Amino acid sequence: MEPMKPEEKARVLAENPQAEPGDLEEYERLLSRRFAMDPDIPASPEAIEAADSIEDRLAELHARLFPQKVPA
Amino acid sequence: MAAEPIIQVVRDGDASKASPFTICIIANPALEAPWKSGQFIGDSITDHRAEFDASVRYVVQALFGRLPNQAEQFLGDATIAPRIRVVSVFADGLDAEDATALVGQDAVSNLLVPRRTAFAPFLARFGLAADVAYAISRSETHTRASAWFTSDDDGRAGVAFSLDGVALSHRFWNLIPGTIAQHATSRSLTALHEFGHALSSYSNGSVLDLYVDSPRGLNNKRGRPIPPGFAVYNGIALAADATRDGLGYGSWQSYHCELNDPEFPAVMDNYWLAHDHVPEHCQHDRITRMFLLDRIRAKLGR
Repeated sequence: MEPMKPEEKARVLAENPQAEPGDLEEYERLLSRRFAMDPDIPASPEAIEAADSIEDRLAELHARLFPQKVPA
Repeated sequence: MAAEPIIQVVRDGDASKASPFTICIIANPALEAPWKSGQFIGDSITDHRAEFDASVRYVVQALFGRLPNQAEQFLGDATIAPRIRVVSVFADGLDAEDATALVGQDAVSNLLVPRRTAFAPFLARFGLAADVAYAISRSETHTRASAWFTSDDDGRAGVAFSLDGVALSHRFWNLIPGTIAQHATSRSLTALHEFGHALSSYSNGSVLDLYVDSPRGLNNKRGRPIPPGFAVYNGIALAADATRDGLGYGSWQSYHCELNDPEFPAVMDNYWLAHDHVPEHCQHDRITRMFLLDRIRAKLGR
């Protein structure tokens, strides 16, 4: 996954004072984590639950970091 | 109506092999928008041949160490470069549908996501098979590249290697090739960074992002304190990078392998943070470069 440029990170946080640097770090970590799991092998129920949990948390963080991009 | 596809052999590769190591670069015909929605729209890259051709040139330059100021030579190694086959595919006028959408637009980011299982059937239409494939998009909203690792065919042969005493294999063949979704405007080390992920393997060594607190993988370990040794790869002891080239690990549990150039971040780290603002000065860390080049040499020998 292409890393964010430092100026992009600064812009996101400046435009969204409700978001904290830790939110952005967690968001980036979870996005990257998505690609570290093979999506095409049969997963255990626990693994499916973990993947769903990552996506749910990503949606929360996306709404906090990029509220202007979340559909009304 | 679909025009005749334009298939260009950019580099011949090893003509003595029935299946030379092959990188395909494809103009993405359609986008799934959003990813996993089942809704498809055309990708305008197929209306912009010159932009696609520029992307092809850029990818080849980045992989073969020919960007201005590029320190990481990677596939430019004289024993490897002539043996790599590179093919571009430009097909316009195809319907936007499940079979032609090689890229999805992520709903929770500006990531372009490869629809990895669509690549091999799409390439097979043109008599092609890839080890690693790029889909180049001209999405209007999503510009950030991403990649899935290769799913190796672990039921077939390879070249054995060991990592910290564990027996693994640089497999010759894949079940699903390494796949990359990249925007037509991507530049600098992005194509090289994504290739590092895509060439690696879900079952025989994963090359992870080093700019986040990643899970354990080929190039990332976890734990504190950071030990002096990072790993033993094929009998070669490699040191850990105690300082992350000066960027620091903060509160992470991750730590990385020693760098080939400790003055700059690794290619799999955030290369935009190069202290001289020249990302092209970044090189792979030691284990990542050794692993990736060994993996290619194994596939070249199949």
